[in-house]
Amino acid sequence: MISIKNVHKRFGKLHVLKGIDAQVSEQEVVVIIGPSGSGKSTLLRCINYLEEPTEGEIVVDGIPLTGEANINKVRAEVGMVFQRFNLFPHMSVLDNITLAPRIIRKMPKAEAETVALDLLTKVGLADKARAYPEQLSGGQQQRVAIARALAMRPKVMLFDEPTSALDPEMIKEVLDVMKALAEEGMTMVVVTHEMGFAREVGDRVIFMDEGRIVEEGTPEAIFANAQEERTRTFLSKIL
Amino acid sequence: MDFDIQLVINSFPLLLAGAVITVQITAISVGCGLFIGMFAGVARLSKVWPVKTLAAVYVDFIRGTPLLVQIFIIYFAIPLATGHRMDPFVAAVTACSINSGAYVAEIFRAGIQSIDKGQMEAGRSLGMSWAQTMRHIIMPQAFKRIIPPLGNEFIAMLKDSSLVSVIGFEELTRRGQLIIARTYGSFEIWLTVAFIYLLMTLTISRLVDYLERRYKIDDKH
Repeated sequence: MISIKNVHKRFGKLHVLKGIDAQVSEQEVVVIIGPSGSGKSTLLRCINYLEEPTEGEIVVDGIPLTGEANINKVRAEVGMVFQRFNLFPHMSVLDNITLAPRIIRKMPKAEAETVALDLLTKVGLADKARAYPEQLSGGQQQRVAIARALAMRPKVMLFDEPTSALDPEMIKEVLDVMKALAEEGMTMVVVTHEMGFAREVGDRVIFMDEGRIVEEGTPEAIFANAQEERTRTFLSKIL
Repeated sequence: MDFDIQLVINSFPLLLAGAVITVQITAISVGCGLFIGMFAGVARLSKVWPVKTLAAVYVDFIRGTPLLVQIFIIYFAIPLATGHRMDPFVAAVTACSINSGAYVAEIFRAGIQSIDKGQMEAGRSLGMSWAQTMRHIIMPQAFKRIIPPLGNEFIAMLKDSSLVSVIGFEELTRRGQLIIARTYGSFEIWLTVAFIYLLMTLTISRLVDYLERRYKIDDKH
């Protein structure tokens, strides 16, 4: 579904990604972990071209990303959930979700709203359709953001530290939605510090440090039996 | 010296009529300026360099030269080149619109830049183009934020429109000059003219305050 080949990213002199190779198969849940500044968010943002790789090739669903020419088409198939939700504050929850399907998929308003209400029910917020983002808690906003991304019927969902901006008691409600999504067979790439989630939901865990993939494997292999010293040091500090 | 109150009373209707014209020319100019400025402001943020450069040259040229000189160029210099005389009203509105557009462009640019970067990213990540995201997500939010500076621009233009009196266009200031030429009542008339300007600018700033408060409440929704 996603193929990443020798991807480098430089911000001026800063070499953030130093040759990343990775594959994500259909229906796979890949969790990327690593210390801050390891390049994991940058890598995720390269997958839908919010960051343009300096070098290397990324292919999503058979389409090589080449810039503005096809990027909107690819992005419509790739949902993204941000750390800071990024809901549109001037629109109701319902309008947040229906905007893109109506504009891009040319979906009629009534149909888009039916889809949106179904998704809101799925994330447990059917009663908030008319609310505005500001009236919702962080956890609720993030669940709306997930529904907004799902409304485009994406083939892949990218999560960029989706629970890092949340109060502790709201983290679970968001993780539960993500878990349900994974169980339905959604292909997911998740950057997170939630090791419980990585262990429980992840099919594969990638550990990154200093712009490189240090180690990857099943959650059991990484958490219980890491081969690299760097991985063990990182895990010992956070577990 | 005596203050001739009778002169003020007699001239007042004529001056008020001039004030109406001042408001008209200001409203039309800021209206056109809003339109020009919206595109120029967005163009300044474009990634396409000819578009960006063109907008920057326009904004810098207009903001870097006096409005009075711009009025002279449009009313005197351009007709020399084209061979067509220009109606003072058209010249006045054209000069003020082009002038206002440059200032409004900067207001729009600042307003757009004040919107969180994540909004553009969220729009783009859903597959919307830059223009679609601008139109549906960034601009509606920017509009609310730029109401106060746009109000200030309107007030500034209302006062600066007095400059078009130099091409003989009969707005408030020019009316005052003409009455003084007839009556020599310099003191009374200029004070009255100033008072009328003050009345107009105060009214507008109150109106802007009101709009700002209303949209602040609206924003909370």
